[in-house]
Amino acid sequence: MLSFIAKRLLSGILLLVVVTSGTYFLAHVAVGDPTPGLLGNSATAAQQAALRTKIGYDQPLLVQFWNWFSSAATGDFGSSWRNFQSVNDQIALRVPVTLSIVVFATLLAAIIGVGVGIACGLRPGGLLDRSLKLASVVLFALPGFWVSLVLVMWFGIELKWFPAVGYVSPEHSFGGWIQSITLPSVSLALGAIVMVAEQLRNGFLQVANQDFVRTLRARGLSGRRVTAHVLRNASPAALTVLALLFVGLLGGAIVVEIVFNLPGIGSLTQSASQIGDIPVLLGLTAVTVVFVVIVNFLLDLVLGWVNPKVRER
Amino acid sequence: MTRTRTALVAIAAAAALALAGCTGSGGGGTTAAGDTGELKAGVFLDVTSWDPASADIGFDGPYLSAVYDPLVALDKDGKPVPALASSWEWSTDRLTLTAKLRQGVTFEDGQKFDATAAVANLEHLKAGVRSGQAYLNVAGVSAKDADTVEIKLSKRDDALLYQMGLGRSWMASPAAIKSGALASDPVGSGPYKYDKASSTPQSQYVFTKKQDHWDTGTYPFPTVRLFPITDQTASFNAMLSGQLNVQFANAANLPKAKENGWNIASKAASWVGVQFADRTGAQVKALGDQRVRQAISYAFDAAGILKAVANDSGTVTNQVWSVDGAVYDKSMNDKYKTDVAKAKQLLAEAGYPDGFSVKMPMSPIFQAWQPAANQTFGELGIKVEWQDMAMPDYQKNAPTFPMFLAVIALAGNDMATLTDQVTTSQWYNPNPSVDAFPEVKALVEQAEQAEPGPQQTELLKQLNKKLVDLAWFDVWYQADNTYFSVKGITVTPVTGMMFPTLRFIQRG
Repeated sequence: MLSFIAKRLLSGILLLVVVTSGTYFLAHVAVGDPTPGLLGNSATAAQQAALRTKIGYDQPLLVQFWNWFSSAATGDFGSSWRNFQSVNDQIALRVPVTLSIVVFATLLAAIIGVGVGIACGLRPGGLLDRSLKLASVVLFALPGFWVSLVLVMWFGIELKWFPAVGYVSPEHSFGGWIQSITLPSVSLALGAIVMVAEQLRNGFLQVANQDFVRTLRARGLSGRRVTAHVLRNASPAALTVLALLFVGLLGGAIVVEIVFNLPGIGSLTQSASQIGDIPVLLGLTAVTVVFVVIVNFLLDLVLGWVNPKVRER
Repeated sequence: MTRTRTALVAIAAAAALALAGCTGSGGGGTTAAGDTGELKAGVFLDVTSWDPASADIGFDGPYLSAVYDPLVALDKDGKPVPALASSWEWSTDRLTLTAKLRQGVTFEDGQKFDATAAVANLEHLKAGVRSGQAYLNVAGVSAKDADTVEIKLSKRDDALLYQMGLGRSWMASPAAIKSGALASDPVGSGPYKYDKASSTPQSQYVFTKKQDHWDTGTYPFPTVRLFPITDQTASFNAMLSGQLNVQFANAANLPKAKENGWNIASKAASWVGVQFADRTGAQVKALGDQRVRQAISYAFDAAGILKAVANDSGTVTNQVWSVDGAVYDKSMNDKYKTDVAKAKQLLAEAGYPDGFSVKMPMSPIFQAWQPAANQTFGELGIKVEWQDMAMPDYQKNAPTFPMFLAVIALAGNDMATLTDQVTTSQWYNPNPSVDAFPEVKALVEQAEQAEPGPQQTELLKQLNKKLVDLAWFDVWYQADNTYFSVKGITVTPVTGMMFPTLRFIQRG
């Protein structure tokens, strides 16, 4: 098990280094000299030069990279070129917002998706199963921002059950936090729920038709115990989809964050890209890669627990 | 004085409003007179910096006006009025400004506001990358006595007090300036205290009123909550749901605002059109001929563009002086009334019957106006090669093109308009080229030397007429900024401020 964890950790670190280094050089090529964008063209040449010196942009690219990398390796992503505030602090403010909605959405997708998937797998062709098929077509066809707007208009403006926009941190009000993340999370989760349910339903049906299930039934196991065996064998595919969804939802959160005016990493990524704030972009890239690595690691652990053969790979 | 960042946020705001017009929420109106116990205002952008030297004028006003007092404030017409400077006086040569300071004011850290503090602030502002543009002509600042400061100018600057009032004279604690922590921790003497514990930066900023503030009567709300909301649909939804009671609004939502019984306030904020960067014809010979620039001005259907892109929220005009100011002359607005035949005739007379070729920059933010530009230039035979770029690159590269589409913030002061739009080199006015036009140069010099008042205004009017005659700019219209507020709260827009400071948001 230790070797399994060590391998995954090593590959995660390697991925982090490769992705952030690649992003570093790509961002520098794409942005070019950032000072006009940061200061405005009315800033004098001396002011632009002073900013270049301040942010280290006057040094050779490899020197800049080494300075950034050696600092980032210690967990310090430096300061924003826009407002010189710590990148770590800015990301620390934003990450809880995005994580709140993405984790909540993933939980919704897991709980409801698994429930619906099992129910449909148990009664293929039933009303729920047919409804799932219809829902999967409709929800995949609808644009995310449109679904978000409908939820805002109905539950935020008409019924006033939830705030139409904004984020409340749990430290300020736990109830307010739940209220503020419900609509965005539901917006994100709708498509994910049907995806997980479909995956599980198909996997469930596939496994249910295998010989060992017939044998279990022949041995007189109760329906509940047979279902448990089928579920255990059908779950890896659904778990993989769930993990992929989590990563996908991190990207999809940008639209939801805009519609609900949430100060998450999506909107920070957008603003940092617009003005060429490379340290912030790199910090966000690193954080996103860390999330991806952690989720994949957890997925491997869960898959290993569900199916011991995975651990031996 | 230049206000590049203001120009940029004006572009961003105008483009957002144009785009939001396509996606306006159709949500049912459910709010009428909302809760007015506290001010809950939706501002278009987040605060840039709490350090007055690094802050933008554009949308930072409401944030900074909560925690800082200015040395000089503006009234609703853009006229400088006393604040921490209780009075001031110009020397006869207008090269020295002597200001008497209000007594008995202390900063939140207990430091006293006096001449030494004012000098420290003014020097900090003069050195600021953004604020420094307001103090370009300031040679030095000194304390004459404990309650008097003297500002010496290297060149007469009749717009200095206006720029200070616009948002370039917020006074912060000298200790906080020295510590370098102002950017994230404001320490001022303003009417409100920043409640950092209750605020969620980048989402909601909460301020509680100081009852002992020297100007407490001007600020009626016990609590102020400011919400940076860039997405216009989200902002309007927040207004509909009652989360906001004041909003930087999209004119596309005017019918819904009326239906809800909200107060609506609008005022000219920016001009939209084509900026001629090459009036001397150095890059494209044709643009050096005023008949060509006039032809372009005749060709555009400004009223149609205003209606299609800006929901008719603005005034069709060909001038850069604000439509609410004394220099603006309504009678000149018909000079370039849309007439494509006349435009073609002028082009032919100038020797370009088949048009000419020109390169122009394009950024997603300007795409709302691109179809109209394509159609109009196409009718004249002007072949435009658009070069696509992101907005920071547009700002960087537009000055290198002979002409470009522009959305430029207006000034609420006539002399500030002269420097912002005509005489000073800016990214949006890279080649003022005043020297190449002797009549323009003479009028500029006369206006700069004239006694402020009717005589100066008259000279600026003559200059305005001359610039329109020369088709100095191809202004299509002056776009309004619009603000919605629930019954019981009024907003008074001020040209030059993209979002008014808190003194302009009142009960009533």
